[in-house]
Amino acid sequence: MTGNKRTRAGANALLLAVALAAWAAGSGAESLSPSPGPATSAAEGGEDFPVPFNPLPKTITPCRACHGPEKDFKINWTREEALRVHTNIRLHHGGVRVWCLDCHSAEKRNYLLPLSDGKPITFEHSYELCGKCHGTKYRDWRNGIHGKRTGYWNGPKTYHLCTQCHNPHRPRFRPIKPKPPPKRPRSPVEASTKH
Amino acid sequence: MSRRKDDAASPSGNDQQTGSGTADDPKAAGGLEKKAGVSRRRFLAGTAGLFGMITVSSCSWDEFFQQNFRRMTREEIDQTLARLQAQYKAKYGKDFVVGAEGPIDGTLFGYALDIQRCIGCRRCVYACVEENNQSRDPQIQYIRVLRFRDGNMDFEESDLYYDPDRVPQEGYYYLPVQCQHCENAPCTKVCPVQATWKEPDGIVVVDYNWCIGCRYCMAACPYMGRWFNWADPVIPAEELNTRTHYLGNRPRFRNIVEKCTFCIQRVRKGRYPACVEVCPVGARKFGNLLDPASEVSRILRDKRVFRLKEELNTQPKFYYFFGL
Ligand code: SF4
Repeated sequence: MTGNKRTRAGANALLLAVALAAWAAGSGAESLSPSPGPATSAAEGGEDFPVPFNPLPKTITPCRACHGPEKDFKINWTREEALRVHTNIRLHHGGVRVWCLDCHSAEKRNYLLPLSDGKPITFEHSYELCGKCHGTKYRDWRNGIHGKRTGYWNGPKTYHLCTQCHNPHRPRFRPIKPKPPPKRPRSPVEASTKH
Repeated sequence: MSRRKDDAASPSGNDQQTGSGTADDPKAAGGLEKKAGVSRRRFLAGTAGLFGMITVSSCSWDEFFQQNFRRMTREEIDQTLARLQAQYKAKYGKDFVVGAEGPIDGTLFGYALDIQRCIGCRRCVYACVEENNQSRDPQIQYIRVLRFRDGNMDFEESDLYYDPDRVPQEGYYYLPVQCQHCENAPCTKVCPVQATWKEPDGIVVVDYNWCIGCRYCMAACPYMGRWFNWADPVIPAEELNTRTHYLGNRPRFRNIVEKCTFCIQRVRKGRYPACVEVCPVGARKFGNLLDPASEVSRILRDKRVFRLKEELNTQPKFYYFFGL
């Protein structure tokens, strides 16, 4: 009897679990997933905020595959116009003042130059480096004034990182084709001739 | 399309049904019988006419006698939503979700648009059309993107129909205009049947089934934020958005007024409006004005902002700001 009861209870629990799982799956599908990939998080000024993970294209990383000490590649400290094998990069950032090694770490090519704490910045956290020069923009971005967020106004958001909108080597937006203008209302003259 | 038989406030009190005034007429002593006969005939004619109207307008009994949304009980709302879902299923062959989510406590929605950022690409216009099931023909677009010459703020000299190969163009700036969701909304005051009102979270909405299509609100709105359905809306079936709200993007019909609702079907569930999410330059910001940490609140505090036609005291909750 008790065994029977227990199996009944077990079955009920199972049913409940299945129902719950279905409900959870349903509601999961219902709500939009705010971030496409695994999120990394950045904690600064005591405030934690989520940022999406944006992987680098596999073709160009790791940089150390070419720029490692074992490759015996001499570090070139002087500005150069020709970027050799990096033909896809056209540098248009900060005029003649900025060059590769103003952002990329010369010794640790897989990283960006460190902040004053001396810790190298990973490519995923490149916005910290952007903030070094663009401090006001960086602050506005942190507060959701500059840049774009999607998701929930009162909940989880996807932050668009600097480099997701701006090409770091060519940050200025390129003009785009606008969507078509609205139809014009027919003028009285047109309307009268069309009838 | 009058459907207010039982509305005491209705001005159309031509009491065909009661006939009591004529029957009690003291000077009609001899003709009492005759008068009563006429009255009965008129009553029958009136009833027939009413049924005729219901049939001709192809709307159901329930729809004909549907209450103003704000006076419906929870039960009536549920019945109405179920009826609408069945109706849309029959008409479009799709399963619609028609919600009626209420306002979230402690929210007052506000919007901020960075006019130094906007590039005039009109992505927002079309995202809005698709999200909100706006008619493609005749064309209805809640958002108008106006192009101004640098230094000019005269609306009469702005261009709505600009169509260059690429935007932004040198020497111009762009200013998108949509419903400004005024706190002191003139459109809601002129409506003779109270079919439009401001919700507690600040969204100005229309009960499409209560609207009589008089277009007073369109005349009252200083921002051209309202649109009239001159004909039955045409939307390609595959482009219909089936996630809807009663006061928002559910399919509309001819002879009624509609407008931007801040995507009520999205924002009442916590999501950003469609125009915010589509803007490629992040010029559009949305949030709760009562939350000091929200994006809009920070903008109001830290940036230079302005509103359109402030001198009219409409108190829009749609702000334009200078992001740089
Ligand atoms: S999508 Fe953004 S940039 Fe494009 S017109 Fe709309 S507000 Fe302006």
